[in-house]
Amino acid sequence: MTNGTAAGWTGVLLRVDLTARQCWREELPEELRHAYLGGRGLGVRLMRDYYRLAPFDPDTPLIFAVGPLCGTPAPTAARLAVVSRSPLTGTIYDCSAGGRFAWRLKAAGFDTLVVTGQSTVPLALAITPTGAELVAVPALWGKTVPETVAALAARGSVAAIGPAGENGVLFANIMMGEGNSVGRGGLGAVMGKKGLKAIVVDGDRETLIADRERFDHARSDVMRLFRASPVIFGELGIAEYGTPALVDLMRQRRMAPTANFRRTVFEQSDNYSGPAIRRAYQAKKDGCYGCPIQCKKSTPQGEHLPEYETVSHFGALNGIADLAAIVKSNTLCNRLGMDTISAAVTLAAWGEARGAFPRAEEVPPLLEEIAWRHGAGELLAEGSSRVAAAMGRPELAMGVKGLELPAYDPRGAYGMALAYCTSNRGGCHLRAYPISHEILRKPIATDRFSFSGKARIIAIAEDTNAAVDSLVACKFSFFGATLEEYGELLSAATGIDYPPQQLKEIGRRIYLTERFYNCANGFASRDDYLPERFYCEGGSSGEGIEIPPIDRARFTEELQKYYRIRGLTPDGTFADPDFLATQP
Amino acid sequence: MYDQIAQYTNKLIADRAVLTGEIAFAAQDDAVLTAGEPALAELAGAVLARLSCLALAVARPALPFADLLVARAPVGESCIVPRDTETRTFLHDIPFVRRAELGDEPAALIARLLGNRKGVIVEGVGIVASGTLTVEQAYINYSSIFHSTFVKYLEDVLQEGFRLPGETDVFSVFRRDWLRPLTAAGLDFRAGPLTDHDEILAEITAVGRYTVERGLVDSFFGNISYRAGEVVYISQTAASLDALAGCIDPVAMDNSSTCGITASSELLAHRRIYELSGARAILHGHPKFAVVMSMQCEEAGCPVRDCWKECPSVRFLGDTPVVAGEIGAGGLAKRVPPVIVGPRKAIVYGHGVFTVGEADFAEAFRALVEVENWCRNEYFRRVDERWRENR
Repeated sequence: MTNGTAAGWTGVLLRVDLTARQCWREELPEELRHAYLGGRGLGVRLMRDYYRLAPFDPDTPLIFAVGPLCGTPAPTAARLAVVSRSPLTGTIYDCSAGGRFAWRLKAAGFDTLVVTGQSTVPLALAITPTGAELVAVPALWGKTVPETVAALAARGSVAAIGPAGENGVLFANIMMGEGNSVGRGGLGAVMGKKGLKAIVVDGDRETLIADRERFDHARSDVMRLFRASPVIFGELGIAEYGTPALVDLMRQRRMAPTANFRRTVFEQSDNYSGPAIRRAYQAKKDGCYGCPIQCKKSTPQGEHLPEYETVSHFGALNGIADLAAIVKSNTLCNRLGMDTISAAVTLAAWGEARGAFPRAEEVPPLLEEIAWRHGAGELLAEGSSRVAAAMGRPELAMGVKGLELPAYDPRGAYGMALAYCTSNRGGCHLRAYPISHEILRKPIATDRFSFSGKARIIAIAEDTNAAVDSLVACKFSFFGATLEEYGELLSAATGIDYPPQQLKEIGRRIYLTERFYNCANGFASRDDYLPERFYCEGGSSGEGIEIPPIDRARFTEELQKYYRIRGLTPDGTFADPDFLATQP
Repeated sequence: MYDQIAQYTNKLIADRAVLTGEIAFAAQDDAVLTAGEPALAELAGAVLARLSCLALAVARPALPFADLLVARAPVGESCIVPRDTETRTFLHDIPFVRRAELGDEPAALIARLLGNRKGVIVEGVGIVASGTLTVEQAYINYSSIFHSTFVKYLEDVLQEGFRLPGETDVFSVFRRDWLRPLTAAGLDFRAGPLTDHDEILAEITAVGRYTVERGLVDSFFGNISYRAGEVVYISQTAASLDALAGCIDPVAMDNSSTCGITASSELLAHRRIYELSGARAILHGHPKFAVVMSMQCEEAGCPVRDCWKECPSVRFLGDTPVVAGEIGAGGLAKRVPPVIVGPRKAIVYGHGVFTVGEADFAEAFRALVEVENWCRNEYFRRVDERWRENR
């Protein structure tokens, strides 16, 4: 290992205090960069003194952190992580987002932006290489995301909230101007409570690469693996059809959540498959800055088309077969600035509790009501757990730790079942991402109906992906490439050797830090279980595939194994109360 | 996990990739377990305990090519760089440790090297390969390195001759005793055209198994398909050719469904071959001598550097055309279909062989055998011609 250089990172952190309306630069300690990389890891580390604060406490930081590969030609790495504490789940929370914002933030000279405080008037934060300023924007309060982006776009790339964030919807997103979202856990509401309507950033600095020849070699290795991956560049893969390429596969595997997870096959899912969307909307490739995959799809007019989880949950989960209505729901969520998965699952729980799922034409007005907290939206804005509890049917909330489950039924993939529960941010598919091997056979197939080995597999994947989220690279890259190639890119970019094993150890540190925060805030083993439905009701068996309920005893056995692998107590907590003090 | 370890131990033995009795695995769930030859098992357990992965295979290869490559490597080098496509794409290079470098803590050194790569050669010990997620993955990585070293050593001998004392004897034993005749004789193929769904699946499964059992390919090195009307039945990505039951995707020719997203990365090549050739069966594998011979280009003064990808020429090995092209979404899918139409067979530079059958797999299988036998014979002819005095 060589000494740290200026390559990769900028080494600069921008702090913004909205209460005092002050912005200032700080050096980002080299030790933290090396030990946490960037993105999720750095953000989580910077929460160390604040993790007990309530999500809406003015002193709770909202952290935007890019990675050392951002601004380089490393494939899919022009991303950032936003980190804070989730008002929806109460857990530590991070979300990775692409678009152009991350690249522009790095090009303005910053690795990290930390926002604290609270303003009584709506503000926008404008960042350039020469400084940052806070601007009062009362006229933008109440505007949709596209309206806000249009008003500010001349000054650079925009990250903004919509009415949902302003009104404290617990699953409000921060939206990037290009349509990417900082989704799920309600960080849009955290931004809204701070009175921060938008951040606009511009910059033109290049990210230095320590060893260009080594970097180019590693990049070509990554691209070769992308071309060898049917999931990425295959003619039926996500570069062609976007993530809705998974619709047909989930139908075939009988694990498409339907009718609030009462069934696992929706016979009309053909209506919103990848090929159906391409036919109906002449979908074209779209995506994040510098990404070779371009998995996002949009219409020729530029309207963003929905992802797999969105089509499936506004579709099967609510019994809606109308593609136009699903696309409209997606567009509306993007305009209002709220998460499509949580919105759809909340509607489904509400629908089952009242005895009728919302009809296609009912969904758009309900989404408007949620964002503005009008009518039924006042309750629905609280997310599925609180909605189901308020309606006297808490068992109908399909989430873990209060985070709504995405569109992979856990009865159809047992690693996924375990991963939903061990995820530090709640019921999320993207932490261990076992769909990769349980369904897509990458890098190797595992038996989706077996728990054997899954505790170790999930722990390894959580560590790996914590490193990936800290680089910050897109998970889809790892349908082809591995940490071997990304470790090479990082080593070449920074001039410091990062073998894959070391990256996994960094990932483990990040994962355990998150878990420690959660445990300190009261989370324990009881929070690491799926809703009871999955242990007592089967899915939709047929076509030679049985979808039985998950064996709760076997699940518990594997969960206990997982705790042992993690060095946790049988209650899933830390025996050492000074764990954080042992970490950099 | 003991059952999986037993399964893949037996598979490595059946593949003739290890010396019987000199193989061990380690695997970890919430604790590390080991099985196999005691000394190797102890090493495997000690290495695995230092790594964030699920399984490890340690074995002495059935052929000493890995050790010979290490012994032939110049002082100061610490890895070998095979040029075949599979290695280039998935392994990049293969680090090695010389016997003298092992020191007092071999497990720590090996673990450090494995922290960077999927496998490592340890001189005097064998091949050590990790599996991040499964025992099968450790088996695959071991087998990949066995394949890589086989190809690399044969290529080096052809180019450079014999350099070490006793090397010619080792090579003679390999040639005379280890290699077995390749033949399609005695195999039972269903006569085409095949139309029944279950029959097609059964035939693909059987033929995939034949390719491995007859020693044509290592189990996960290749793919196989059959076209019935507007559906292509094709083996899935990362599927073993000798274990295809449940791993065959029916894919619509018109892309009306994306269920085939799990199909082999060569789906596009298969489709274009069907479109151009009118054939019904395609067999693709990586027989070793065809891979070696495909990289023997003697074009003088050629400016192309990345031959495996960029070479625009069509060369011939006997009557079989050889073209360049990357796997998956690379150029292979463009370059193979036009040249395979006439001869019904083609070789891809550094990669492997495609053969087709008009109605069934019998023709394709025979062609695969013929190509590999021709390349094997030609390889030894050239070795004899160049290095006769050396032997």
